[in-house]
Amino acid sequence: MKRIHKLPTFRIHPEQSLTVNFGKKQCRGVEGDTIATALYANDVRIFGRSLKYHRPRGLYSLDGECSNTLVAVDGVPNVRAENTPAVNGMTVNAQNVFGATPEFDMMRFMDELSWIMPAGFYYQTLHKPARIWPLAIKHIRKAAGLGVLEPDFRMKGKFDEVHISTDVCVIGGGPAGMCAALSAAQQGLRVVLLENRPWLGGAFEYRPSEYRNGLALYQRAKDLSKDVENTTNIRTFKNTAMIGSYNNGLVTAFQRGSKSEVFTERYMEIRAKSTVVATGCIERPLLFENNERPGVMQIGCAHRLARTWGLLPGKKAVFSIGHDLGIEAAIDLADLGLNIVAVADIRKDSYDSNLAEELEKRNIPFLSGWVATRAHGAKTVKAATISTINATRHRKFTCDTVVASAGMTPVTGPFTVAGGKLRYDKHTGFFLPYNMPPRMHIAGRILGLDDPLSIETSGRVAGLKAVSECGIPVKNLLRETQENLAKLTGPSRGTKLVSGPIKGKEAFICFDEDCTLKNIDQAMHKGFDVPELIKRFTSAGTGPGQGGIPGHNLPLYIAETGESPDRNPRPTTVRPPLVPTYLATYAGTNHDMSKRTPLHETQKAAGGRMERIGVWNRARRFSSDKNAENEIDNVRRNVGLLDASTLGKFRIFGPDALKALQRVYVGDMSKVRGDKVKYSAMCNEDGCLIDDGIVVKIGENDYYMTASTGRAGQTIEWIRYHTRYDGWKYHMVNLTDAYGVINMAGPDARKVLEKVTDADVSNQAFPFAGYREFSIQDVPVRAMRLGFVGELSYELHVPSSYMQSVWDLLENTGKAFGIQKFGLEAQNTLRMEKGHVIIGSESEQRTTLHDLGLGFLWYRNKPEAKTVGAFALKDTEHQKGRLKLVGFKMRDPKSRVPRDGSPIVDTRIRGYVCTARYSTAQKQPVGMALVDDYLSPVGTLIKIYEDGCRGNLMLAKIEPMPFYDPEGKRMRS
Amino acid sequence: MTVNLERRSPVTLKGRPAKTEIRDGWRIVSRYSGNAQGPHIIDLSHFSRWDIQDDALEQVEPYGSKIPAKPGQIFMDINLLIGRLNRTQAIAWHFAPEKPVFPQTKAFTDITDAAVAIALTGPWVFDLAEKLCALDLSEPDKNPPFLVQGPFSHVPCHIWVLHHEDSRGCIALTCSRGYAGDMVNGVLEAGAQWGILPEGEDRFRSWMGW
Repeated sequence: MKRIHKLPTFRIHPEQSLTVNFGKKQCRGVEGDTIATALYANDVRIFGRSLKYHRPRGLYSLDGECSNTLVAVDGVPNVRAENTPAVNGMTVNAQNVFGATPEFDMMRFMDELSWIMPAGFYYQTLHKPARIWPLAIKHIRKAAGLGVLEPDFRMKGKFDEVHISTDVCVIGGGPAGMCAALSAAQQGLRVVLLENRPWLGGAFEYRPSEYRNGLALYQRAKDLSKDVENTTNIRTFKNTAMIGSYNNGLVTAFQRGSKSEVFTERYMEIRAKSTVVATGCIERPLLFENNERPGVMQIGCAHRLARTWGLLPGKKAVFSIGHDLGIEAAIDLADLGLNIVAVADIRKDSYDSNLAEELEKRNIPFLSGWVATRAHGAKTVKAATISTINATRHRKFTCDTVVASAGMTPVTGPFTVAGGKLRYDKHTGFFLPYNMPPRMHIAGRILGLDDPLSIETSGRVAGLKAVSECGIPVKNLLRETQENLAKLTGPSRGTKLVSGPIKGKEAFICFDEDCTLKNIDQAMHKGFDVPELIKRFTSAGTGPGQGGIPGHNLPLYIAETGESPDRNPRPTTVRPPLVPTYLATYAGTNHDMSKRTPLHETQKAAGGRMERIGVWNRARRFSSDKNAENEIDNVRRNVGLLDASTLGKFRIFGPDALKALQRVYVGDMSKVRGDKVKYSAMCNEDGCLIDDGIVVKIGENDYYMTASTGRAGQTIEWIRYHTRYDGWKYHMVNLTDAYGVINMAGPDARKVLEKVTDADVSNQAFPFAGYREFSIQDVPVRAMRLGFVGELSYELHVPSSYMQSVWDLLENTGKAFGIQKFGLEAQNTLRMEKGHVIIGSESEQRTTLHDLGLGFLWYRNKPEAKTVGAFALKDTEHQKGRLKLVGFKMRDPKSRVPRDGSPIVDTRIRGYVCTARYSTAQKQPVGMALVDDYLSPVGTLIKIYEDGCRGNLMLAKIEPMPFYDPEGKRMRS
Repeated sequence: MTVNLERRSPVTLKGRPAKTEIRDGWRIVSRYSGNAQGPHIIDLSHFSRWDIQDDALEQVEPYGSKIPAKPGQIFMDINLLIGRLNRTQAIAWHFAPEKPVFPQTKAFTDITDAAVAIALTGPWVFDLAEKLCALDLSEPDKNPPFLVQGPFSHVPCHIWVLHHEDSRGCIALTCSRGYAGDMVNGVLEAGAQWGILPEGEDRFRSWMGW
């Protein structure tokens, strides 16, 4: 196809060619082409097949308003060919095609069977007999959906995100949007301007009609664009589709990366103090038989095809329009060489008679009060029939193009998603807002304005209103601009005709879902009488076009029938995202932010199998043995080192610090001493265990405390929340990351410690549960004697920056004693053998302190109201029917270990296994479970159900805990 | 046996150090080779920081300086930054090359090791910040220096906006030390399009005019 010789409105560079592969066809395009225009330039008219009936589909809007031109590009399905720049060498494939090319689709017979598929047919048929439904659903699912995504497909590209704060956000880079942006920027505000197309200018950008004083509209658009781009406080984002807006000033969008950008797409969140919506209008489709046949296209599509990309839409065209833009386009396209055989205008009056005269000058018949009723041609348009509105006269023209549009419809999504309400306006034929969201304004063609000066002035008014909301006094200027606007031409009269005199069997109201006017009638006959219900029953407007094509026509048509109880046309609800995009764009760069201990790298280098535990990365084990038996054995026999840096650590100080501790801990915290740790627990108001740890006094009204790893993030808020009305004077500092923790455990632990410190760490000087502060090679260390793993054990709290050095020192010193690292798996088994609980493993949200056998931690003599959970602890102390924590051993010692979480059953579920492991000490599997209290006595046989066990339950017996060193001699040694 | 134990920063920056020194156990890069425009990322984790909490903050004077009166305000002096967080809490940050004396009053807690501290300096740092942070760091009503608390790359941070001139500037960030690796990776990835490079503390000092 030959392109038009250079026009000043071109956005292409004909001297730079490129090639796009469409199936087996090589298409030559030029720099600046979209995929759609490159294909069109190579006479591709059928871009794909429709969803249900496999009808041929082609170019229609050039703005990606429907699924007609969705194609697969380099393996990525559902790419909008109209919005996507052509890139040399890209491979494009048609979608929903069963056959070699979209021209020859083996499923095209579906179109002939449309009569057996009325609206909602699968809701009504294929259910009886019931056995056919599974078969039917399988085939319906196979046929449904657009595009194919391979299961192992990986999205290529870089997906970014950006968070922008601004004073004014202008959505739409047309003349109104640009004027709004300039008005706001002139007042010194920060402005963000979003434009979906790759350039600014909107409806002015491609039109040669006069703006004023001989200046063409496209020239005016260029001037405004230049002003915008030269204004430093306006940040312009082109190729940017707005997808959501919210009444707190948040606007979301995504930007497609151009060649100069480092991203493929990026997600944008813009926080603005005020927003101007100047998104203009799209065309309201005219409905006639075969109104989606390739060759039928909208006015703007035909006009921009020529003006922007140098392609005439066809050779011979019929226009059927309802807006002056149609006449204007016909005149310009005729001048550019398109043979226009007739212009049918659905309006009997209210058109611009000057434009009609221009048609006459070019011998183009102008038929006022006529409308297209059918496009002919099996695959592409071969002819068109037009008729008078009352169907008294018909004429048929041979043509390859039908330029059709019923009128304009405003793009209201950007403010309706933020809560704006719409009402039908009889003058403009638009759905216009009667209730705008706060701090949001509209401008331009969206108001029904067609006059260029009015459009621009409305933009200035909206811009100044936004300025005013940002706190800048512009009252006089705003009033003056509003007065100017009032003097200019107001909104044009619009049309509300949806279709001419047709039956509607092949008149498609929604292209995406293959929904015809007849389908709407069928839905109405079934009793669906309002647009929202009909939309759902027929699927009209639920496709990838997000309702752009049927959005306006559906309520108008329903109102026209007079069968709806609501005689006022009412649009259906639109929701974000207004424009669909990739999930990869929403994911953005998706930095997975997790925490690493000071020893992370060396633990990993030593073979540590790192796992994500909450926000932390921790070493599960240091060998391929999933049971970590060597690590366990070494702690029991020699000495092991565990990185326990993830423990929560806090300083709490101030005159009322003790009161705060008394409030949240169940124990008597007045007994906390400086040389001894106090182990205690925190419960919630229900008496359920939420945290445990130790507290030690490090000074007068000054305490150091630990919290469990998973709870550390909430500890400060928890304490503050539960003391919020008391006005107590205390302060808290989160030292979780300030200190690393080394747990050195095993019978030889003391021997290692003695070698690195001058402090006396003998059992007498530093007994079990003792707390000491000393130095290891001048590094100040907080040391505790604890026994979580059941052996002689030291917990060394070391400043994080020194952690690696101190660890290395201990490891080197301990070599003589067989020191080894151990990980979480070993710790889990060791502590389980000892009967020590981990919150979250042996407890859940309904597990009280009593259920775990930890009721002894509760100090009853504190006034109840002062301890969180005390009331509930009292109430649940002797409550029957609760789950109780028990130890168990497998009845058959050679049995394998039941999986954690496995239910314990008899005739129903009676509890579950919390943790079970093979005990090297016991030489058999042991575990802890929460079971109904009647199963808790020692000796009771319990049955464990495992997923996939097929009724073969595992048998275990309740045993006393701890399983290892019940007297605690080893940890006290 | 007494050995000097090394202190380690949670930050590892890939670059060719041109000048390093050992200070108080820390191995500090003063300068990296190359003299590119930036933006730059600078590890400040080795500088001493204190959490200051008191019901009468106005009476606490870290190193003889007043704590700013309002949350978000920063007091800046040679080698000293004091930022007010809320009614009862402030952060003091000491940049003296020699180790400062720990203030021996109860209000102070040494949090040097609690957080990772990095500075972003040079051109495009505010564009870079926009990629990782939804907070308005360029608010015209706020004149640097000021302190903002909020998420940066999804992690709760103290964000010290120290200079802002067009898109050039200097931002210091602190967050939990454990996030250091991912925070630095996030910043480097976000700044890759502008060629972000590691720099030494000399560059930070020169930004601060110290």
